[in-house]
Amino acid sequence: MDKDKFFNRLLRSVRRKSAYTEACVHDPQTEKKLSDHLSENLEWLQTIYADCSDVIFHEFFIGERTPAVLIYIDGLSHLEEVDQHVLAPLQHDFSRELTLADIRQKIAVSSIKTVKTVAQVSEEVSCGNPVLLVEGEKTGLAIGLSKWEQRAIEEPTSESVLRGPREGFIETLRTNTALLRRRVRSPKLKIKSMHIGTYSRTQVAIAYIDGIAAPALVEEVMHRLKRIEIDGILESAYIEELIEDNPYSPFPQLLSTERPDVAGAYLLEGHVVILVDGTPSVLIAPVTFFSLLQSPEDYYERYVAGSAIRWLRYLFLAISLLGPSIYVAVLTFHQEMIPTSLLLTMAMSREHIPFPALVEAVLMETMFEALREAGARLPKQIGSAVSIVGALVIGQAAIAAGIVSAPMVMVVAITGIASFMAPRFTIGISVRLLRFPMMLLAGLLGLLGVILGVIALLNHLLTLRSFGVPYLSPLAPLKGRELKDVLWRAPRWMMDTRPHLTGKWNPYREAPAQRPGPVDDGEGG
Amino acid sequence: MDAIKRKTVLVLFAFSIFVLLLPGCWDSTEANDLAIITAAGLDLTEDHQLELTVKIYLTSTSGSQQSGGMSEPGTGSGRSFVRSAIGWNMADAASKLQQVVSRKVFWGQAEVFLFGERLAKEGLAEPMDFMTRYHTPRERANVFVSKGSAKEVLLLDSPIERSVADALREMAKSQTGLNITLKELAQMMAGKSRAAVIPLVEIKPKQDDQEPFPFIQGAAILKNGKMVGLMNDYATRGIMWLRNKIKRATVTVSPKNTQGFVSLLLLRSRAQLVPHIHGDNWTITVRIDARDEIVENTTNLDLSVPKHIEQLETELEDDIKHRVNMALTQVQKKMKADIFQFADAFYRKYPKEWNQNKDRWDEIYPNVNVRLETNVEVARPGLTGKNLFKPEQR
Repeated sequence: MDKDKFFNRLLRSVRRKSAYTEACVHDPQTEKKLSDHLSENLEWLQTIYADCSDVIFHEFFIGERTPAVLIYIDGLSHLEEVDQHVLAPLQHDFSRELTLADIRQKIAVSSIKTVKTVAQVSEEVSCGNPVLLVEGEKTGLAIGLSKWEQRAIEEPTSESVLRGPREGFIETLRTNTALLRRRVRSPKLKIKSMHIGTYSRTQVAIAYIDGIAAPALVEEVMHRLKRIEIDGILESAYIEELIEDNPYSPFPQLLSTERPDVAGAYLLEGHVVILVDGTPSVLIAPVTFFSLLQSPEDYYERYVAGSAIRWLRYLFLAISLLGPSIYVAVLTFHQEMIPTSLLLTMAMSREHIPFPALVEAVLMETMFEALREAGARLPKQIGSAVSIVGALVIGQAAIAAGIVSAPMVMVVAITGIASFMAPRFTIGISVRLLRFPMMLLAGLLGLLGVILGVIALLNHLLTLRSFGVPYLSPLAPLKGRELKDVLWRAPRWMMDTRPHLTGKWNPYREAPAQRPGPVDDGEGG
Repeated sequence: MDAIKRKTVLVLFAFSIFVLLLPGCWDSTEANDLAIITAAGLDLTEDHQLELTVKIYLTSTSGSQQSGGMSEPGTGSGRSFVRSAIGWNMADAASKLQQVVSRKVFWGQAEVFLFGERLAKEGLAEPMDFMTRYHTPRERANVFVSKGSAKEVLLLDSPIERSVADALREMAKSQTGLNITLKELAQMMAGKSRAAVIPLVEIKPKQDDQEPFPFIQGAAILKNGKMVGLMNDYATRGIMWLRNKIKRATVTVSPKNTQGFVSLLLLRSRAQLVPHIHGDNWTITVRIDARDEIVENTTNLDLSVPKHIEQLETELEDDIKHRVNMALTQVQKKMKADIFQFADAFYRKYPKEWNQNKDRWDEIYPNVNVRLETNVEVARPGLTGKNLFKPEQR
């Protein structure tokens, strides 16, 4: 019986796969080569672009005799430049027939590609490059004059810093690769490119530094990306979810950033950066738990401040995970653990509260999450109203109404602040959600439950890998030397080696003895 | 295969959730459903039953003027109340206590255990078994013996502290008197010497407009779990010197050949017991080192002169010796209770001899020769050298 079920399932998945392939991948007409009859090519292309009102077929004569057609998408090409540098030079009256090479010479544009198939033509046109087809030629010319409206480069609002570059990635892939190239100018910076998405044909670029990044890692990233068959990629999160090591884990296994300096720093440590057209968030792989808790500012401030802030962050991460659950556990199971005077105060404040501590905690934490979400999605003008009402609801009014106790409000507030201390939203929200099961465990089993939860969580984190790199490295497996970037933020001159697991192919990043100080020239002080 | 595995995992997961949910929060107690005991007193009734009296902190501010949780601490007057129950033993009394208290009796915060004088004379071994065996009483709670009944002390209220328990605890902690915890008492009672010392609580009777209040005065000496005698405050200080428990002390001496007093504040002290066995001659050498600071001088001695300081040191040594000797005569010769744990000191250094003679310890102990070696150093003369206001100082 089970066997039958299993085969049915297998059969269904195979059928679905073939259905997907038929519908999307194989489009026989795109394989066709361009012919030397302009009319035939036009016919093909007009069938492809039927009912595409934004595709313009501009027919004209080169030198007033050879028929030609310029195909472009309105709004994606720089029309002024096309008129000035393509159409104008070609519409003179020439004494002789022009070959394609001559035409190429006449066009005063630096980026020109030859296209040979209908598929290539549509590809170029979709990218905004006008394609020129000429009567009697088996190839066309794609002219690199794409231009569309794009956002200016601004400071990313989700990762703002006090000190450090204010540039952020934008939605255009080319601009983003340029921003990367401006930081790492060496030709060793390789940027591979591919298209993903049968309909969206999204351009994806994979950047890495040759000689630092492990070749196997680059290969693995390429392999996982090539595996993706999907209708479209609208944000890098689509890719993230399709190439993760553990798709069920609540923890992010790729780092997404909008900052070119962060991406550059990771490139220099041997990581691979995946840039996706249409989104400012780029993906960095592999990533460890601790790198999700690092902020670029740690490295731009003095190392003392950087280390201190890092410790603070670790502490508050623990609080945001365990704060309410420890409060609930201690208050309902282990009253002897609380100092007497504190217990008496807490018991007094809880005297008229109708709910058990667990219900109270879950209620308030849910309230807080609701308020946060409501505030995040609303326009700014209404958002402030939400926060005022929220402050009343989970603050003074709730206590005055006798629904929750004052210490609980404090715990919720501290936990709330703690959860915003995580420098990456993804890790913050994972931890924030995990504290609800923790609270349940605490309410059911007390501290025993909390410890069970922590053990389960640690077990999960220990099994987790990001592109083969253990998630908790360098703590587990322990690598003493590398704690310089985990336990504290060592001064720049002390961080002379790359992280072992990603950078061991090129371990040294600094020349020896970089510590500044007076030169010891043997003459003494 | 994968699908089947996933299903198994899901089923197991759901199952474990149910396992967690089914028992529910069966042993959880909300903090506001507890009767928090801050102090417990034990007395012997006329018919030799045990009367357990507890001081319970009032978390619900009595009266209906409070609407929410925003109760201002300190509004309710009489913030503690007292309940008693009588039983055959401690556990019996404790379970009967639950019958007269509406909330769950919670021992976890009981910081003070008071034993009535009569009970102490009868023997503390029985209640101590409950306190060490049952898991909720705190080992770090302070123990006292009350002169008179423990209930009387618990019925009093402390004007400064939250409850009388806090007041007693703070007084014990300030180290002017003995500070004995339940754990230390158990160790002493079960140790080799089977003798213990517990601070004694007395009630200062009502004077004019001063309410009666309890305070620590002297100590009770226990031998084999039974109280054998009381010590006054002066001798208790001697006990503390010997037990290495002196932390704060201001000693006032009157030097010879001059009038007035010099007061010295103890900075640091250390007492060491060094046992010797020479044939049948058991000796303990007590080494006491102390450093002092002069805080007041009303004599004509110029204390910037080293000779005078030396004289002071000798005076101080004599004073300490006197206190210690006084404690020793009372405890060693009269009560014959080994509260200084000489037995443990001998056992540690001479385990073989100890094992041979452990049955004879009661005979040996009163005859143990105690030699005192005191070494006092006056480290600082204070902020001034000569007395600024006595030009006639020598």
